[in-house]
Amino acid sequence: MSERIVRGRVDRSGALVGGDAPLLRLQQRAGGGLNRPLALPHLARLVALAQRLQRDVSRPLHAADDHSDIFALVRILPDADGASLEISDWRARPTAEPQGPAIADAVEPQGWAWECDQHLRMVALRAGVEAPAIPGGWAGHSLSELFELQPDGDGRFPVLRALARQAPFADQRVRVEGEDGPLAMHLSGEALFDATGRFTGFRGIATPDEGAAADAAAPARVDPAFGSLPLSDPQFGRRIDGALRGPLSRIIATAETISGQFDGPIRADYARYAGDIAHAGRHLLGLVDDLADLQNIERPGFRAARDEIDLGDLARRAVGLLGMKAEEKGIRIDAPRLDDKAPAWGEFRRVLQVLLNLLGNAIRYSPENSQIWIRVDREGDRATVTVADQGQGIATDQQDMVFEKFERLGRTDSGGSGLGLYIARRLARAMGGDLTIDSAPGQGARFTLSLPARD
Amino acid sequence: MSDSSAFSGIALPSPTLSARLGDVAAHLAAPLTDRLTEEQRALTLGIARRLVGEAAAALGVRIDPAALWHDWLVQGLPGAERLAAPCFARAEEHRWRALPALHRDTSSPADGVSDTDAADAPPAAPQAPLAPVDKAYLDLTIADRRRFDALGNPCIAVADLDPEIYRALLDDVVEWQAHAGVDTNAVAELDDAACAAAARQASESGIDAAAAAYHTALVAEGALSDAAAAAAMRHDWPALIGLAAAAHRRPYGEMALALVSAEAAALPPLLAPLRIDRGAIAPIEASLARVPARALAGAPEGEG
Repeated sequence: MSERIVRGRVDRSGALVGGDAPLLRLQQRAGGGLNRPLALPHLARLVALAQRLQRDVSRPLHAADDHSDIFALVRILPDADGASLEISDWRARPTAEPQGPAIADAVEPQGWAWECDQHLRMVALRAGVEAPAIPGGWAGHSLSELFELQPDGDGRFPVLRALARQAPFADQRVRVEGEDGPLAMHLSGEALFDATGRFTGFRGIATPDEGAAADAAAPARVDPAFGSLPLSDPQFGRRIDGALRGPLSRIIATAETISGQFDGPIRADYARYAGDIAHAGRHLLGLVDDLADLQNIERPGFRAARDEIDLGDLARRAVGLLGMKAEEKGIRIDAPRLDDKAPAWGEFRRVLQVLLNLLGNAIRYSPENSQIWIRVDREGDRATVTVADQGQGIATDQQDMVFEKFERLGRTDSGGSGLGLYIARRLARAMGGDLTIDSAPGQGARFTLSLPARD
Repeated sequence: MSDSSAFSGIALPSPTLSARLGDVAAHLAAPLTDRLTEEQRALTLGIARRLVGEAAAALGVRIDPAALWHDWLVQGLPGAERLAAPCFARAEEHRWRALPALHRDTSSPADGVSDTDAADAPPAAPQAPLAPVDKAYLDLTIADRRRFDALGNPCIAVADLDPEIYRALLDDVVEWQAHAGVDTNAVAELDDAACAAAARQASESGIDAAAAAYHTALVAEGALSDAAAAAAMRHDWPALIGLAAAAHRRPYGEMALALVSAEAAALPPLLAPLRIDRGAIAPIEASLARVPARALAGAPEGEG
């Protein structure tokens, strides 16, 4: 994904003192102007937060002008004179009714119209005039209970990604037990927001998947999650992914709710236990992610996209995402400067994934109060980014092993699955690059990702 | 459908003439008042059509709703006076709610919504037991969404309709079918079906019950005023209407019409039982002011 970054600059008083045209237009339509206080309340609050913490903040951004809603990702980099803004993934959609019904202008006579709240609880389900009868007992139940979510070709679930991003989605394949037997359908939906900009759920349509109808009508498998699929079948892994991700997410969410004492104070040791559960759940979810990735990249014909990327920009993004985790251990990250660029070819999100893995490992295995360096460079036709830490290092004879599946060099902590570096190297090679290590015991480790350079 | 006493002794030749004379009578009774807009007519008629279709469906597959509606369009709806108020109330509520949120109040954004709300707060586990207030709100939302068809058009859920009106409507449909020439046995079966449909309706719980339960749950938690103020701020009109209706012990539809036809000065007393301050009423007032052609009691020119 090649992304255009919309940039802006805010001074210490919170006034927008410069920026790219889209941001200036939005500020103007929201009633502000250049050298005037930010008129976008959500952005203004995030800027204030970043300035208060004196720390980079990366968050989803929601804004609205008089004819559209804006969704984007914003990164705020505070400094002594104010803050710099980097806004990516800028998407606009026409303003929707704040409390609209389960409107589905495009609902087909054979389809269903549905709506759920922000917790994916079903609040509306209606059948078109020629549609199969809707199953009973849907009201108030989870969307994922009613519709068995099926992963897409990348092993992802569009509706869950849309939930995380509070954005529209399409082509979520589902299976559902209809009144007359199993049905295969496609879900699409738009995100709903109330008048304060608060996400309130999705509404959309479910259309029959004619192509999969025969498959859906096939005899029920032995187990609803895994069925009688052989281990070697790619569907097996996808079904494991689908079957585990939902319950694990719920475990984590509940444990975090308890740990954070959002519903009221509880005993400190109970809150700590809940924190441990959430931590373990996140680890398992990470393993599920890794397994899904593994299956995806090992399937024949896997290809990564060829986007125009800048390794310097991606390295800074990775630091923005994991900076707080490093600070918890007192680790200082020496990231590439804003003018450090390394134009390259590679898939935006995959490269970010690799960098997050490298930086996450470096943080995990670095001693407290140490330092991590990230450098970008160009060597001939290769653009490189190197992550170096002050950890215990890896002996030469073990260096190749770290790229093996499930290899953790004897570590038994709950830090990782042993798949991260294997996946990272596979991804690097799928993008025409490589991932290498240079290390010695007691001297830390330096992982270098190289990709085809771009002029 | 007023009777035309000036033509006493002469049967009016058509429903069309009868309706026009009714319009004239209404006009003479309030000459400065705007009449219904085309949008209001269309919405009200559509809601009535969907309700008639629901009633016909409740009687079984024998009824052809398209033929029924066609006949009633030509001859006039029996019980039009009975249906007028609920259909008009639903239409006016829909016009209010269908206003796009073009003018969000960006000067006081999401009071009480922290930086981490929405974006970062962990989602509540869907399968966790819901708090009574949350469960009641979910039920209210579900009851509200039952008041739309699959295409998002507004309709009246049978559970929300006055039982007498519903029973009368069922009887009208049965009578239409009887006039269509079905045999006596079939009519008797339809009568039985009408009784069964009325009994089913009596066992159903609609938006009034959901609103009352939500109100009760909020009162028990001492959170009524905060919830009402939040509903106003978020333009969550079904919640606001439901709470006001429950507080006044009035039906939801009646309260919706009372609010949408209220002048600014009439809003505070209507919302007084919710104990929200004047500032919280401002977004309601501002939103209502944008509804065109409201039937305001003290504004004969209308509000266009």
